[in-house]
Amino acid sequence: MASNAAVPFWRAAGMTYITYSNICANLVRNCLKEPHKTEALTREKVHFSISKWTDGKPEKPTVRSDSPEE
Amino acid sequence: MAMAALRREGSRFAPLLSPRPITAVRSSPLAPSHEDEGPIGVRYISTQVVRNRMKSVKNIQKITKAMKMVAASKLRAIQTKTENSRGLWQPFTALLGDLPSADVKKNVVISKGLHKLNSGPEKETKYVILGEKAKAQLIRDSKKDIELIMTELQKNPLNYTQVSVLADEILKNVEYDALRIVFNKFQSVVSFVPTVSTVLSPEIVEREAESGGKLGDLDSYEVEGGETKGEILQNLAEFQFSCVMFNALLENACSEQGARMSAMDSSSRNAGDMLDRLTLTYNRTRQASITTELIEIISGASALEG
Repeated sequence: MASNAAVPFWRAAGMTYITYSNICANLVRNCLKEPHKTEALTREKVHFSISKWTDGKPEKPTVRSDSPEE
Repeated sequence: MAMAALRREGSRFAPLLSPRPITAVRSSPLAPSHEDEGPIGVRYISTQVVRNRMKSVKNIQKITKAMKMVAASKLRAIQTKTENSRGLWQPFTALLGDLPSADVKKNVVISKGLHKLNSGPEKETKYVILGEKAKAQLIRDSKKDIELIMTELQKNPLNYTQVSVLADEILKNVEYDALRIVFNKFQSVVSFVPTVSTVLSPEIVEREAESGGKLGDLDSYEVEGGETKGEILQNLAEFQFSCVMFNALLENACSEQGARMSAMDSSSRNAGDMLDRLTLTYNRTRQASITTELIEIISGASALEG
């Protein structure tokens, strides 16, 4: 049933292993009970701004601010 | 040093008074707020100036002490995180080795600034920059070698999720043979060593494995679970990169807080020394003016009697 180069479903969908493990971790954090749950979710916040450069010229920066409710 | 400061303060007041024939050794003319007016030809040192200076130095000392406390507390918090994160990548190094000497075509260097990597002629190097400080530095020199810049990282305290998302962006946007992360490794509060840690892409790992050496034993491991070795290597490489980057950022933060603490500490100590010297000067000038007054009174009294 699996092809010769049996890639797992997430790799075929374009995710890296890191993204996969982050989503799993998020699921585990959501299973916690209430006081620990909000604590753990604050540990998950992401905010940064990234700008790609080509040939010594910056392109427009994009702000990536995930919130844990993804 | 306090004398030079006093002289400087004195020269500011010089235009207010006409020049006297008697040159005093180290006194400045009267400050307007100091009330004593001696007879012509006598100058008093202005204690007001010294007192102002002492007040400002004391304030500075308080501020730097507070900054040192803040840095020390932040350091403690981050240090435990760093020690814990070291356990993440140590198995990777045991398995895959760190290989700074791997000869690769494309190097991608990730840095928070303050380091420069020189590479040989045929190797292509691209930079990924984290943070504003690094950006200002590297923009000046290597403008055309920059691949990605990430800023605004200080909004949340460092957590693994943020670092892994950063790592993800890097992996997606940059093709690489070897990723080198440059950071300050935190050894103790006063010593930080710049280090480079390397993460190789799966193809290079294969290549090194075939050529023998430490990675050559990879084939002797049994792989279970229905995944191929290439896949496992790829997953491992990504995870290794993310762990190593997390550790690198934490160590960098530790080193920064440690440096800040020692800088604030030496600055408070300097302020304390300055305060001591100023206190001595202040007491001396105060006593000198009191003695002068006494002498005048006594000589005046004896002139009246005699």
